[in-house]
Amino acid sequence: MTELQAEQASKVLDNSVTQAKPRPNRDALIALAVFVVLALLPMLTSSKFLLDFVIRCAAYGLFATSLNLLVGYTGLTSFGHGMFFGLGAYGFGLMMQKTGVAVPVAFVATLAITFVVALVIGAICVRLKEIYFAFVTLAFQMLIHSTILSWVSLTGGDQGLRGGIPRPPFLGIDLSNHLHLYIVSCALLVIGLFLMHQIAQSPFGYTLRMIRDNATRASFIGIDVWRAKLTIFVLAALFASTGGIIMALFVSGAYPEFAYWTISGEGIFINMLGGVTTFLGPMVGTALFLILNDTVTRVTEYHGIVLGIVILFFAIGLRKGLMDFVIEWYVQRRERSGERAS
Amino acid sequence: MTRTRKPGISRRSTLALMGAGAVTFATPWVARAQAKTIKVGMPTILSGRVAQLGTSSRNGVMLEVEKVNAAGGLAGRQIEMVIRDSKGQPQEAARVARELVNTDGCELLIDAEASSGAFAVHEVARDLGVLCIHTNSETSALTADPKQHIPNAFRTARQGVHDSIVGGSYAAAISKAKGLKKWATCAPDYAYGRDTTGEFTLYLKRFAPDVEIISESWPKLFQPDYTEVVTKILQAKPQALYSCLWGGDLTSYIDQANIYALFTQMEVFAVNMADYTALTVVKNLPKGIHSGNRYIKTYPATAENAAWGDAYKAKYNEYPTNWSWENATAIMLLAEASKKANSADGKKIAEALRGLKIKSPFGADGTVTMRAEDQTLIGYAIGWGTTIPQEPYVPEVKPGDWKTILELEAEWKKSKGYT
Repeated sequence: MTELQAEQASKVLDNSVTQAKPRPNRDALIALAVFVVLALLPMLTSSKFLLDFVIRCAAYGLFATSLNLLVGYTGLTSFGHGMFFGLGAYGFGLMMQKTGVAVPVAFVATLAITFVVALVIGAICVRLKEIYFAFVTLAFQMLIHSTILSWVSLTGGDQGLRGGIPRPPFLGIDLSNHLHLYIVSCALLVIGLFLMHQIAQSPFGYTLRMIRDNATRASFIGIDVWRAKLTIFVLAALFASTGGIIMALFVSGAYPEFAYWTISGEGIFINMLGGVTTFLGPMVGTALFLILNDTVTRVTEYHGIVLGIVILFFAIGLRKGLMDFVIEWYVQRRERSGERAS
Repeated sequence: MTRTRKPGISRRSTLALMGAGAVTFATPWVARAQAKTIKVGMPTILSGRVAQLGTSSRNGVMLEVEKVNAAGGLAGRQIEMVIRDSKGQPQEAARVARELVNTDGCELLIDAEASSGAFAVHEVARDLGVLCIHTNSETSALTADPKQHIPNAFRTARQGVHDSIVGGSYAAAISKAKGLKKWATCAPDYAYGRDTTGEFTLYLKRFAPDVEIISESWPKLFQPDYTEVVTKILQAKPQALYSCLWGGDLTSYIDQANIYALFTQMEVFAVNMADYTALTVVKNLPKGIHSGNRYIKTYPATAENAAWGDAYKAKYNEYPTNWSWENATAIMLLAEASKKANSADGKKIAEALRGLKIKSPFGADGTVTMRAEDQTLIGYAIGWGTTIPQEPYVPEVKPGDWKTILELEAEWKKSKGYT
């Protein structure tokens, strides 16, 4: 799957994106504008459903986009990315329940824990390629999941972290207020996406693309492939962990399902829906996935069939994600109008 | 300048798509305005391995809702159930519960989730303050732990610790009578299995102090092959075996253990056996398995209970499950509380529910009580008996004594630091 999509990626890149230079200022402005729009949303609508939706989008979006840094940009198809989502949720939840530190401290400490765990797991995994990488990440995920299940005294086993996550107010922000939680989730999402975009557009990001396309060549011109892969593995883990923290705040708990392979599977599914060749593909995929999930489960309990047909349609019918399709259509249209003008 | 139609998505169809998208988002809010009916939201598991939990919970609820509606509803308002699948994922359970209240305008919640999902819905109830009745989670801590306690959450399910007390005392009596000293245990390897086995052996040893556990097996949840577990138990040569495997796991275990004639070599105590989901699925149900009742229409041996079981069977073409009676009880209690409060308001119903005693086909003495102090159900039928291979499957059930149960439960709570 990856190679095919990587091929398509290079095609699209040739057409439009390769001329793009890193423009952090412009990106920052766009990010700010998006944040302002999202932050103003609660004033326009009283719908709590929409706020819940955006919070979940933030959690899954950060998770899926960070997975795309591995799958789409580096060619590392991780089947175990969900372990960092779970780690974030449990790390943050436990920290708040057991130590009672301030929210920002718990946030940073959770990221620090994720950093260490991802460094160790990554150091073992990124030496491997393709299916071997996929399976070893899956194995580590199941290891973490089993640990959560068996370490009942700490994690509550299969019942999860019970009793809610306490969230003392900090800097005037009270996360038990749903509106505050919404704004903070939006901020984390926008900042996360902005940072990931900077990573993707940096020289390091282009190194990753090169490793994806031809790792041997990359190492011939002096790139330390292992170190680059490990770096992006750890970075992606940090963003996935942030997604997990948002989810833990949303459900006010952490459950073993957050570290189960189905979460990783959903991440891959989202990437297939949205497309891995564009930066915003996974974000579009997230929105699409959540809308699909919410509307289909509302109508029928046979949602498995519907989602299965949708993924078959994308995988066999379109053979690419929605954003890839849109970009291609846009490029073709521009070319045609260019022809007409000349 | 003329334009020809180009292949691809036209502007018009793009607009149509966007419109459709907007409608999908907007429709939920339309429903809110109706006030005559009262919507009751119910997140449950309707797909996957334990889908039967959701379907039999739904059946139990609907059977009672029809009766309540025919009798005028909750304080004159017809009940409209909104039942949605959580796929057994706690984050989905939380999402669905929030959506049911915030978007669909449900004023009450029946939480028919299992284990972790119930705790996720519990947090939603804590956040939104909506009246919530847990109907399927048997984890004692949900109501026993004061940290979990919120005034708007109740439970109408049986409780793990009650089962252990009754099971332990029953098994100890048999143990003494037959001289069963060497015991083995076999339970699924997750919190429910570990906790229930631990509590059962605790009470077994309390009533029969010379009992010794000589072998423990912890098969994985949903394990397909139990050969190594069965042979391990046979090699240990215990005189009795305790198991809290349930559902499909229990039936596969019995089918596989039958091959090794395990049931002729020891007394078997399987707490989850006496439920139609297990009784009717096992190929050759061995005679003489000791089991706790889950739901069985012959116990309590009253006309009301038999009639309820038959009405359920007539309507859904299958026997009720343990989940069915627990969910039906939630609706019965809601209806009574609403009548007592003369209101369909969640807060007033909650007030009326505390300490409410109602007539029930599932009561040990014909009634069940919503205990006020921890808002959980007591007085339901609970007992043990032995199986026979055909209906009525468990002909005689020896009832547990609620006085003893409550005494030991209070002691257990103290030992856990809950009181």
